[in-house]
Amino acid sequence: MKILQVQNLRKQYPGFLLNDVSFDVEEGCIMGFIGRNGAGKTTTIKTMLNLSHADGGSVLFEGRDVWANETECKKQIGLVLGEFSYYRRKKLNAIVDVTKRFYADWDETLYQTLLKRFSLDPEKKVSELSQGMRVKFALALALSHRAKLLILDEPTSGLDPVSRDELLEIFRAIIEDGEHSILFSTHIISDLEKCADYITYIKDGKIVVSTDADSFKDAYRLVSGEADQLERFRSTLIGYRAHAFGFTGLMYAEDAERAEGLKVAPADMESIMIYTEKEDGHESAAQ
Amino acid sequence: MKALLSKEFKLCVHPALFIYLALILMLLIPNYPYLVSCFFVCNGIFFCFQQARENGDAMYTAMLPVSKAQAVKARCLFVVIIEMIDVVLMAAMCAFALVAMPETNGGGTDHSLSLIAFALVLFAIFNIIYLPSFYKTGYKAGTAFLKSAIGIWIWIILSDGMMIASNAVMESSVDIAFFRYLHENVDCMPKTAEALTVQAILFGAGLLLYVVCTLLAAKISVKRYEKVSVA
Repeated sequence: MKILQVQNLRKQYPGFLLNDVSFDVEEGCIMGFIGRNGAGKTTTIKTMLNLSHADGGSVLFEGRDVWANETECKKQIGLVLGEFSYYRRKKLNAIVDVTKRFYADWDETLYQTLLKRFSLDPEKKVSELSQGMRVKFALALALSHRAKLLILDEPTSGLDPVSRDELLEIFRAIIEDGEHSILFSTHIISDLEKCADYITYIKDGKIVVSTDADSFKDAYRLVSGEADQLERFRSTLIGYRAHAFGFTGLMYAEDAERAEGLKVAPADMESIMIYTEKEDGHESAAQ
Repeated sequence: MKALLSKEFKLCVHPALFIYLALILMLLIPNYPYLVSCFFVCNGIFFCFQQARENGDAMYTAMLPVSKAQAVKARCLFVVIIEMIDVVLMAAMCAFALVAMPETNGGGTDHSLSLIAFALVLFAIFNIIYLPSFYKTGYKAGTAFLKSAIGIWIWIILSDGMMIASNAVMESSVDIAFFRYLHENVDCMPKTAEALTVQAILFGAGLLLYVVCTLLAAKISVKRYEKVSVA
């Protein structure tokens, strides 16, 4: 069952267009929302939830129009925009005391459990928390009102590898019951390799692909060859990097099967993104 | 709305607001333009808007299960509550002054119902300028306050200036009927039936203007904030 359906979402800014963005998030899954900085990930999330007014399209949560039922839908959605960086001089207790008044389903027992699990001291001020702890506090708030869908914008950016790994484990644990889903935006692709079931890739405000993680990777191949083979395969390469001994690049799987003489290997998500973003920069990459 | 108001009072109030509210004690200063105390309250409200902005309140609120319209309305209601607290304190100070400070105020409007009416007009001016101006961007609190301060000071100079002029005329040998009327019925403690009636009418008009301007300010603010991208 689809918990979130985004259809033809459109938002025009001076110099940037979010161009008919469409994707679905399945229940009980983690959807990785990837793209380089400035590709439109945060804009998509903000427009979806009416933080920015959309110029067109629709967003459905459990079949309901999010914009027409904003209050009700937001009760079921936990939004984490990076670390918790609000009211930095206030104690966590004071912030929670205010926040829980907005949610009839606030689960105080769960919140206390999460505090212990994340080693958060409620008597501390936000400014006294490390970046990782602020992310965990934001997650604790989002989880304690029993949100069915967590929308996380760059939650692991700026965290050390141990904290990131810890958070990814938490994300996996959250969706284990099959009732929760996570839309997880990031440009740290290695995080998604570990936990994402589905991938939506956005580039320059437009969705490149939205599919399950395995199909995403299966659609591409990493290839490498000698320098004199480059001209022959240049047109079928999505992106490539030339070096002293030849070149390495990315091809669609069907093109790679027909590419005789090249070494072919499975593509990882990071390489897919890197070479796809190089698409418009063949010449500079080749120099 | 209750939860949003709780957020305003627990997370957004700047401590200076209480100091500015305490400046209602300025009504005990002899010969002083008492409406200035209301300007300080507006200043305190501006501080709260600034504090909220600096603490990322707009983004935090946007993540809560409330619409932009509800968030704006709650902030407007917060402003109204602060202003009404000041009006009530002013009424109490005026009642106290009836007994303790019988002298005429040479610095502006006397302790009277007129003073409260003028305060309501001052707050109406603040609300109709400040709120829509702030919510046009959702962050330009200083520009909005500067615009509203111009309106407020024009009103203070106009209203208190008239009362100072009426006092000056009464103390001189010149007799101008308009200023005599002001002095006997508007700029005085409402001790006669006529003065009480005139001041009650002024108070009613001030209250009406306050309600109309504040409702209009809230309506425009909601409309403007809908177009703002929360960042």
